[in-house]
Amino acid sequence: MTREALHERVRRHARALAAGARPDERFDALALDVAMYQAANVPGYARLLAAHGVELARATSVAELPAVPTDAFRVLRVAAHAQADDAIVFRTSGTTTGLRGEHALSTVATYEEVAALAGHAALFEGAPERLELALLAPPVDEAPDSSLGFMLALFARRFASAASHHLREGRLDVAGLARAAERGAPLGVLGTSFAFVHLLDALEGRRLALAPGSFVMHTGGFKGRSREVPPAELRRAIADAFDVADDAVVGEYGMTELSSQLYEANLRRSRGLAAPKSTRHGVFFAPGWMRVRAVDPTTLAPLPPGGRGVLRFEDLANVDSAIAVQTADVGVVLEDGGVALEGRSPGAPPRGCSLAIDELLGGAP
Amino acid sequence: MSDAARERVEAVLRAAARVSAVDDALGVKARARLPDATGLSPEGVALALDLSVERSASPTELTSLLAWAGAAPRVHVVLSAGVFVAAVRALALAVAAAADVVVRPSRRDPLFAELLVEALARDAGGARVALASELTPGAGEHVHAYGRDETLDAIARRLGPEVVVRGHGTGLGLAAVGATDALDEAADALALDVALFDQRGCLSPRAAIVEGDAARVEAFAAALDAALARREALVPRGRLHESEREAMPAFRATAHLAGSLREGASWSVGAIADARALVLPPPGRNVAVLGAVDAARATRLVAPLAGLVTSVGGSAGSAFVTALTRAAPHARPARLGEMQRPALDGPVDRRRAERARLC
Repeated sequence: MTREALHERVRRHARALAAGARPDERFDALALDVAMYQAANVPGYARLLAAHGVELARATSVAELPAVPTDAFRVLRVAAHAQADDAIVFRTSGTTTGLRGEHALSTVATYEEVAALAGHAALFEGAPERLELALLAPPVDEAPDSSLGFMLALFARRFASAASHHLREGRLDVAGLARAAERGAPLGVLGTSFAFVHLLDALEGRRLALAPGSFVMHTGGFKGRSREVPPAELRRAIADAFDVADDAVVGEYGMTELSSQLYEANLRRSRGLAAPKSTRHGVFFAPGWMRVRAVDPTTLAPLPPGGRGVLRFEDLANVDSAIAVQTADVGVVLEDGGVALEGRSPGAPPRGCSLAIDELLGGAP
Repeated sequence: MSDAARERVEAVLRAAARVSAVDDALGVKARARLPDATGLSPEGVALALDLSVERSASPTELTSLLAWAGAAPRVHVVLSAGVFVAAVRALALAVAAAADVVVRPSRRDPLFAELLVEALARDAGGARVALASELTPGAGEHVHAYGRDETLDAIARRLGPEVVVRGHGTGLGLAAVGATDALDEAADALALDVALFDQRGCLSPRAAIVEGDAARVEAFAAALDAALARREALVPRGRLHESEREAMPAFRATAHLAGSLREGASWSVGAIADARALVLPPPGRNVAVLGAVDAARATRLVAPLAGLVTSVGGSAGSAFVTALTRAAPHARPARLGEMQRPALDGPVDRRRAERARLC
């Protein structure tokens, strides 16, 4: 099975799910084929499987397979293809320690397809026909290795009648954003949570009222930053600043090490579209080609729905790297698959003279 | 420098000698109660008391320590948990600066500090040392704070500009093994550094950088695995913290993916010959052995974390070790086996020596 064939199978699977149709193969069957490919081509993955006593040929579910920790993407190349075949390499934002994880893709086709399918469902389905986008994240030419920048550029091309960037060279263009709002067309404002915090500071209580049909998407946390704003407080402040309803503010959850993203479903619900039962702010939903499990932080054993643990992601779209990724993010997976995020595991104890692991393992995606 | 200050420091050293002695009532109390208080095994406590408690200092060391300390009307010492013997140096630095010292012990682990103050009550060399549960410095007084960088920053912000805060923050040690170093000998010495305080000290080595190829990296990892096993037999590891246990799966998986993992009942050694970045396992006797073909490569590995390195252990005269020490300019160089026994010439953490004021 070639990697191109695997990529096509994943895209076909995702398209079927997005259309509400039944895919022609089961999640686990496809995932295990991806795992087989990765065991043969990602140096070290076969060792990890052997260390866990897993015989791939006998596995019936990807849940049986060990996951690659996000930290590994910093330490070694997690890729099933040669470096010469890299179509793009995404890098984490890193921390003051300068350690950045890398996620290399042999093709952007799958990433684009799944990002567009999930983004459409969460943000653009039911949106006004002529929707402009205002982006509060560095553009691709400034941050060519940012997966977020790549995704936002994709959204601009596929879903917007016009798009503008309002964060360049580290400077926020508040005046430009105000002009975009004043044009009166429905506007999607998308950016990092920290960019929104800076924007709110710059506005000093002023409003940039958006036209009906507008929405705001924010993503990312505050790890390693000097300031943290609780999610609910940020959302209220954003809704107030842009004069939009609370449900028009949507959180996105993604990371460099994954190809697929999760979203809150409140915007869908506010548009009268189907939304899961546990739809509320703080609960994120994965697309059908991704599974999320909360696992025990010490044993990595899966927890039942409602159990609080560290989050493991099984992402079909990660053909080129790791079918299963283990994070240090803490959360609860609900009965309907919603993921209630609660922050990060503390890692090694920051006691006395010890260093916190999270200081060392990299920052926000 | 002041004779009075020197006398006060020497009183602290006498107190430390009492609290670490097997035949002193305070020493007996320390050995009996510290395992519960610290989570270290009784053998781990004994090892720390025997090897890492400062009981003397040369005249040169004292001169350097007194010069660092300066003078203050009163010093408030805020101690942290993790390395109980740190209270000795902390007190020595405090009394070097002032006759009046107030000590706020770690809430989790106050015992050793309390025993030192008890010893000083009988023989303080002119110092007046008291325990307190809260930090209440007056204007112009000094605070010597030990702990996580975040804690130190919070203290400095809370106290405002009229209080001089000297912080002693988090850090880690690195071991360096040169191309011609005897691997078994280096491994044995490193195992001692790792076992002390179950690797929770700010000097404790968490990674060893080995000059050489993959075969040499694996050979050292095997030697270290054996040395840690021997050390465990003599000095069992104590209790692990929950968060240390939780951090292990990621280290194990990364080691398997990138190289190899050797794991015992209470230690682990991951070997990665060509790591792109420094790997730092959680404390609790876990070591990442990383390869570097030459000093330049080793320097690049260390560079992103150079500001956090407080100690580099290795053989004297090795160009590889010298290069690594230069890469972490504030680190104390030490021989392997002696990383947790720095000279009493000032604070352990030299990084903040240049930033005497946090606010």
